[in-house]
Amino acid sequence: MLEMSHLSKVYRTEVVETHALRDFSIHVREGEFVAVSGPSGSGKTTFLTIAGLLEEFTSGAYRLDGVDVQGMNDDARSRLRNAKIGFIFQAFNLIPDLSVAENVEVPLRYRGFSAAERRRRIRQSLERVGLAARRHHYPAELSGGQQQRAAIARALAGTPRLLLADEPTGNLDTQMARAVMELLEELHRDGATIVMVTHDPELAVRAQREVHIVDGQVVDVAVEPRLLSVAGASARTRF
Amino acid sequence: MFRYYLGLALRSLRRNIVLTVLMVVTIGVGIGASMTTLTVFRAMDADPIPQKSAQLFAPQIDSWGPTDNPSEMEDKLEDQLSYIDAMALMHAQRAHRQVAGYATGFALTPENPELKPFKADARATFSEFFAMFDVPFRYGRGWGSDEDLARAPVVVISDELNQKLFGGADSVGRSINLDDQEYRIIGVMAPWEPVPRFYDLTTENFAKTAQVFLPFNRAIERQMRSWGYTNCADRSEPNWQRLLDSSCVWIQFWVELPTAKAAEDYRLWLDDYAREQQRSGRFSWPAYTKLRDFKSWLRNEHVVSHETRLLVLVAFSFLLVCVLNATGLMLAKFMGRSADIGVRRALGANRRAILAQCLIEAGVVGLAGGLLGIVLTVLGLIGLRGALSEQLVQVTSLDLTGVGIAFALAIIATIGAGLYPTWRASRVQPAWQLKAQ
Amino acid sequence: MEILPILSAMRRNKVGAMLVAVQMAVTLAILCNALSIIEQRLAASARPSGTDEANVFAISNQWVGTPPDESALVESDVTALRAMPGVVDATVMNSYPLTNSGSGDDAYLAPNQQKPTAHMARYFGDEHAVASLGLTLVAGRNFTAQEIIDRERGDQLVPPALIVSRALATALFPKGDALGKVIYTRGSRKEGSPIVGIVERLQTPWVASGPWAHAWVENSVIEPYRYLAQSSFYLVRTQPGRLASVMGESGQTLFALRPARVLDKIQSMGEARRNVYRDDRSLAVILAVVCAVLLAITAFGIVGLTSYWVAQRRRQIGIRRALGATRGAVVRYFQTENLLIATCGAVLGIALAMTLNRLMVGSFEQQRLHASYLLVGAVTVLLLGQLAVLWPALRAASTPPALATRSV
Repeated sequence: MLEMSHLSKVYRTEVVETHALRDFSIHVREGEFVAVSGPSGSGKTTFLTIAGLLEEFTSGAYRLDGVDVQGMNDDARSRLRNAKIGFIFQAFNLIPDLSVAENVEVPLRYRGFSAAERRRRIRQSLERVGLAARRHHYPAELSGGQQQRAAIARALAGTPRLLLADEPTGNLDTQMARAVMELLEELHRDGATIVMVTHDPELAVRAQREVHIVDGQVVDVAVEPRLLSVAGASARTRF
Repeated sequence: MFRYYLGLALRSLRRNIVLTVLMVVTIGVGIGASMTTLTVFRAMDADPIPQKSAQLFAPQIDSWGPTDNPSEMEDKLEDQLSYIDAMALMHAQRAHRQVAGYATGFALTPENPELKPFKADARATFSEFFAMFDVPFRYGRGWGSDEDLARAPVVVISDELNQKLFGGADSVGRSINLDDQEYRIIGVMAPWEPVPRFYDLTTENFAKTAQVFLPFNRAIERQMRSWGYTNCADRSEPNWQRLLDSSCVWIQFWVELPTAKAAEDYRLWLDDYAREQQRSGRFSWPAYTKLRDFKSWLRNEHVVSHETRLLVLVAFSFLLVCVLNATGLMLAKFMGRSADIGVRRALGANRRAILAQCLIEAGVVGLAGGLLGIVLTVLGLIGLRGALSEQLVQVTSLDLTGVGIAFALAIIATIGAGLYPTWRASRVQPAWQLKAQ
Repeated sequence: MEILPILSAMRRNKVGAMLVAVQMAVTLAILCNALSIIEQRLAASARPSGTDEANVFAISNQWVGTPPDESALVESDVTALRAMPGVVDATVMNSYPLTNSGSGDDAYLAPNQQKPTAHMARYFGDEHAVASLGLTLVAGRNFTAQEIIDRERGDQLVPPALIVSRALATALFPKGDALGKVIYTRGSRKEGSPIVGIVERLQTPWVASGPWAHAWVENSVIEPYRYLAQSSFYLVRTQPGRLASVMGESGQTLFALRPARVLDKIQSMGEARRNVYRDDRSLAVILAVVCAVLLAITAFGIVGLTSYWVAQRRRQIGIRRALGATRGAVVRYFQTENLLIATCGAVLGIALAMTLNRLMVGSFEQQRLHASYLLVGAVTVLLLGQLAVLWPALRAASTPPALATRSV
């Protein structure tokens, strides 16, 4: 489903060059629930944005659902992103002007579905996350957990091949976080492919498998954390 | 998608109502100012006789020579002819039609002894005046060349005078007392107020039509002086005989030339005539003549005053400031929404989609601004009424073309203002926005 | 102040800064030129004509036909007018100031001089003219009754004496010794006439604005003629406070003498002034409205754009406050930023204003821009910017430092 080989991403400003990802490889198969963890600044957010076709990479290869994204123009990437990927952000990122139903509708509009098709999908995904009763409410009127569920409904509405979640419970209290994680596990059980970025090890273990990133590279999760602090001196293992 | 974007635009504009109002007012005021001045300009610049103007020409002859020429015209050619030249041109009959004329006036003594005598503006001209300028008649007709030659005491009166003296009835055949002389009414004009009064622009551009028209030769016989502008090379005030014999200019002259060839032929003949004058010793300088077409004549006579042109320039500069203002406000608005745009991009909107959404929002502002601009234009024109002459006020109004121009201007201005902000908005990278969290 | 950091911060928002600067520049250009034109027009319309405007009115008289005994008719008219209660003096003339209609001429100092020394307006008036117009004689004397000649239109006469305005006297004889000197006109090149009197001020009838008008708008000569023509004007001066009543009765008085005449217009000098300067006043009002709206629009635009910038940098402001910056420091930051932009805008604006003025002078016959207008305009625009930025800056300064620590 998601295949990155020897990916690297370099940010160049006038004065400094930052290697956010170096020689990064990862393979997520269909139906897997993978947690990507690492300390802050490790590059996991960069990985996510590249995986989500939100950014281009400097070198390497990336195949999404069998399609090589190298050299795609903005239009093509937008279409691919729209059809194949569902995003779940830490800060929900719902559009405050729009109601829950209208928020869920946004990616469907860009997909070009007919009005009837859109209505069907909105109803289905809102029921899936248990928010059908709140379809006309505005984000400001919902709790944090409800907002995240609305965001998940939005991510699901287009029946994406891949769900990308960036710290989905980061802004929620324990109770709501638990509810959202349960929903994600449910979706996984129903066959969804989920890649979740988190720095919380407790969350990471709830996934099927864990990938650990340090300094822009994948690191064997089994290795002792203590040894990881020696810069660049740890063994590197590929998954 | 259009309706979707329209809905989004309306909602977004409603959400930050202050900013929206500011943008609409900015555009509206700019449009209002530009359209008000533009409407006045269009009215002043309009062709008063579009069906004929292509065939009307005004000949100019230099009868003062290059030395010590006191003419204030840019090309040192006066816009009137001397008596000798005017009569020579009339007798030559080289054009399809030609008329010499000048403004004069009478003291009109009404039949009713209760009413006091009043001033009647008159025009002394030739019979072909009425056909040349398509003058409409309510009763009767103009006089013919016989009356021209006979210096007949006949007059054509204006509709307004007919209303005043005879209550609008058919007064053909009746007589009126002008300066203690009886004149027979041979025709009554229908209302005719060309704006500008193109056939005589020497005193005022937007004056009323004369009340009385009489044969030129009759006026000369009665030694009726011009009530217009008499201009002599030595700036003196001539007596009657000098007026006829000298190079003082005081007569307006028009010719009708139906084809381009006829115009060219006349132009050559005019030059020949001047050369003839040089040969005979009357002019001591090389021939200098011009045959101006209608539009060129109006420009030469400064029908559209400098002040009007100046105001149009100021108004459009003002519109520029408004557009810049709107650009700044729209930049603030769109860039303030980069989070929203970033999310949409992440959800699959390509740059074109963002462009469309922003441009439609700009378009809605433009439409509202155009509407406000039109209202302000109407108010502005009403406000200007006091500043314009009565004749001009009649023809200065916001017609359908004007409304169209106003909307087009508003849309162009708003889209122009929105171009850069929209471009910036479309370039918002989805990744950057998310990282800021 | 920390100018360099401000500049580098601005570089990130180049376009926004440029927008404000260009907007201020164009505003400045329009403002300067508009103010200049307004001042010219208002100044022009305030110029005194030299006559006693509050107490003088004019009657336009037109005979029906050509009466044979015009001289006697005019004499009886004028006598009757002078006899009216409340009238100081009355006379007949060919034209009067503030009408844009009259007769012009050139003045020469020598019989066969090629180019005229001065242009002037000619007024025909008898020995009652000075008193009827309310002019102030400052040198020499008035005409005597013997010097007055009856003049029909177009008569070629050589006047035995002349009264000139002080401006004309100075134009012809800069040393100030005009009295007694002989001058020649276009009409009488060989035989001249001596100046016997000089009045303080007498405007020409033409009062149009424009670069050429100002040069000789007060060059007038009064020639000792009793003007006899089909159309002429009676100038009447009344005692203070009697103008309205005398105006009202004057028509009856004249009609009683001879009904076969047209009294087309009886107009006070005050009305004449209002009419002749109507266009100038309108232009001034229109331009003033444009300036006011322009300043308002620019001010609101700056407020809007600055509010947005402030919102953009809320984090930065919060950090600064947390690090110890006072509210005043934050306000000063934005004021300084605005001042830098406004200065660029002002410099550009001055260049634009001069270019615009060149266009005005070249194509629209307006006057050159005085440097003082550029200064006034620049200061106005700078002040406007500073005032407009004050509200968003104050709002920014009240951002609580706690905002800096928030990551969302």
